Amino acid sequence: MKIALVGNPNVGKSVIFNALTGKYVTVSNYPGTTVEVSKGIAKFGAGKITIIDTPGVNSLEPHSEDEQVTKDILSKSDVTAIVQVADAKNMKRSLSLTLELMNLNIPVILDLNMSDEAKERGIKVDIKKLSERLGVEIVETVAITLDGIARLKETILKAKLRPSPVKEELESSGSSNNAIISLNKRLKSVDNLIKETVKVIHPSGNSVSEWLGSFTIRPLTGVPILCLVLAFMYLFVGKFAAGEGVDFMENVLFGKFVNPFFIQAADRWIPIALIRDFLVGDYGVLTMAVTYAFAIIFPIVTAFFLFFGVLEDSGYLPRLSVLSDRIFKIIGLNGRAILPMILGLGCGTMATLTTRILDTRKERLLVTLLLTLAIPCSAQLGVIMGMLSSLSGRAFLLWFGILLFVMMVVGFAASKVVPGQKSPFIQEIPPMRMPQIKNIAVKTFARLKWYLKEAVPLFILGTVALFVSDKLNILKWIEDIFSPLVVNLLGLPVKATEAFIIGFLRRDYGAAGLYVLSRTGQLDKVQIMVSLLVITLFVPCIAQFFVTVKERGMKTALLIAGFVFAFAFLFGGGVNFLLRYLLARGIAVI
Amino acid sequence: MERIHKIEESLSIIWEEREKGVSDKEAVGKSILGKVDENMLEPLARDGYIIFEGHAIKLTPQGESRAKDITRRQRLAERLLIDVLELPRKEMDSFACEFEHIISKEVEASICTLLGHPKECPHGLPIPSGDCCLKAKASLASIVVPLSNLSSGETGKIVYLLTRNHPQLHKLMSLGITPGVTIAVHQTFPSFVIKVEETQVALEEEIAKEIYVKKLHAA
Repeated sequence: MKIALVGNPNVGKSVIFNALTGKYVTVSNYPGTTVEVSKGIAKFGAGKITIIDTPGVNSLEPHSEDEQVTKDILSKSDVTAIVQVADAKNMKRSLSLTLELMNLNIPVILDLNMSDEAKERGIKVDIKKLSERLGVEIVETVAITLDGIARLKETILKAKLRPSPVKEELESSGSSNNAIISLNKRLKSVDNLIKETVKVIHPSGNSVSEWLGSFTIRPLTGVPILCLVLAFMYLFVGKFAAGEGVDFMENVLFGKFVNPFFIQAADRWIPIALIRDFLVGDYGVLTMAVTYAFAIIFPIVTAFFLFFGVLEDSGYLPRLSVLSDRIFKIIGLNGRAILPMILGLGCGTMATLTTRILDTRKERLLVTLLLTLAIPCSAQLGVIMGMLSSLSGRAFLLWFGILLFVMMVVGFAASKVVPGQKSPFIQEIPPMRMPQIKNIAVKTFARLKWYLKEAVPLFILGTVALFVSDKLNILKWIEDIFSPLVVNLLGLPVKATEAFIIGFLRRDYGAAGLYVLSRTGQLDKVQIMVSLLVITLFVPCIAQFFVTVKERGMKTALLIAGFVFAFAFLFGGGVNFLLRYLLARGIAVI
Repeated sequence: MERIHKIEESLSIIWEEREKGVSDKEAVGKSILGKVDENMLEPLARDGYIIFEGHAIKLTPQGESRAKDITRRQRLAERLLIDVLELPRKEMDSFACEFEHIISKEVEASICTLLGHPKECPHGLPIPSGDCCLKAKASLASIVVPLSNLSSGETGKIVYLLTRNHPQLHKLMSLGITPGVTIAVHQTFPSFVIKVEETQVALEEEIAKEIYVKKLHAA
């Protein structure tokens, strides 16, 4: 048996998926969280049931890449039944999709999810009548509390095609190949269905979440709220996690206990110097890779993922598209582009996948470029905020301002060069919701697990590469080659070259290298600013590069990486000279 | 059909063919014959409405202004029947044909004002603008207006969507933004935010200009 979960965006398909399979896929409160199909096995009834989670669609007429993904699954594979997860508050849209799904001649089960929110708004559905008219089984659920899931499972086991009076009526009035005309017909028929089966007892008033929601999207209140959110992130991730958190982990836990313990153990038990160096030397797997990964990056990404999870689940992120649409217009995009960009602050690799929610090829390409160039990922951002917080708040604003400037200039230029067009701005805004502590915890945990699985091996690989090149004296040779760039152009110490080399593997690893330099007093203010700008703009990490290849093609990925590499160094050089020039004239910008 | 009706009908056909880029005498003649049951080209030429240039038909200034008038009235009538009287499409066509001949200049202007000086007929063809449109522009408060004219807090019932871009229209409709639906405007700047059913949707102004609504008084 194979079941596909289908539904409008942001109705809780992934929550249902998690509830049925016991697996975890990311759940958030914004449309477009799921861009890739997840598969899981559910065990209930007699056998195993394959469950497929799909990206949200409003119709089976695909207009964007993620809608295409869903359509392909339904039309090509051997799905035995469809569970349509629907927002019980939005019956019209839900039923319009139901009618479309029924055309596939696969049994459909209609899951009216978030039925608690619908009840709060006084929406009452005559389930029995609706089920008869549609010829479809209907189950009411509240997925986050697992209400109704047991009934849903029972219903899935019994799924079969039933005669549908509504479908017969639609078919008897003739068919049309024109998508708009058939959509129109469906909507008419949905209107009638709703008149017969849905009652709104008292029209919804303004709830607290609606008030708060509207404050976040009005410029007068929305911009200050955004600043507050950013300031809070700076304090929580930059000051608290990257400052106190890292201090404790690096200086106390690793500095006083973990590393001394391993170093002593190695000294005593391992007689061969080379192996000892490999484990606990300057470029040791334990003393460098593991220390960087757990003592520096780990506290930072934990804080960031927690903070980000709350933002995601509150429904705040898509609201930013309302505020930013007009700004994105300047660079050939629309407000929808803010979603992948902000997700890029979490992880550029995942964000590059999320560009699928954008409608045109040009938009996807532009956002991919900006993600590669100017958006630091969570770990990197945390390290950067940590370093900047040691300078001043002004330094943070300067860094932020310069990046915005780069983004606008490069975005504007690229939008003129890249052929194609922008799509109009139409964005659904989810309601503001109180984040569920449990979901935040589960999500943060899943992300940390993913981070450790992906980052730690690369950290070790990078350290091994440094270790080998150090022993073979290649490191010196590479540093000699790059030192004109690093030392003369950027005005940084030779040692910083290492940070950039490991930055090829992961940018946060590179940033961590710089962090160590700055904490040990090897960088002055201008050097900190320049090195941070360069490592931010620097090439994507390996994972992001591969996803870019997969999504945009090898040629485009190479072009982007080449451009970004050259741009990062030239721009960093420019800033270096400018800051030094100003400093020489007694103007301290930082 | 009375003679004057035949002349007006023929002129509107010539106008419509010209919009499609057709001015060939034979082709246009055929269209007219199909609708009016008589080849009106010779009589039209005799009355000074058109002249022949080789195989092509050209409207004289007199013909031009008459053709424009009748086309305008015809398309305004269509809008009126669909938007305000909410007549089904099928019935519209037969009604509109009769309607256009009995509308006086004054009535035409008031219908146009009522409809908010629409730019296109329900088929998507341009409605030639009249004096009232130029005078009024957007300054007159009319009943059917683009969504972009509404201010926050107001509600309206969608009358029609102007957009002719197919995917965009489909996207709006599948979000529940369809004719007949009541929407509330939550805010207008920097983007339009509206509420349809329980869904909040943000739109750019360009799209809001293409959604025409009947303004409703606050409930």
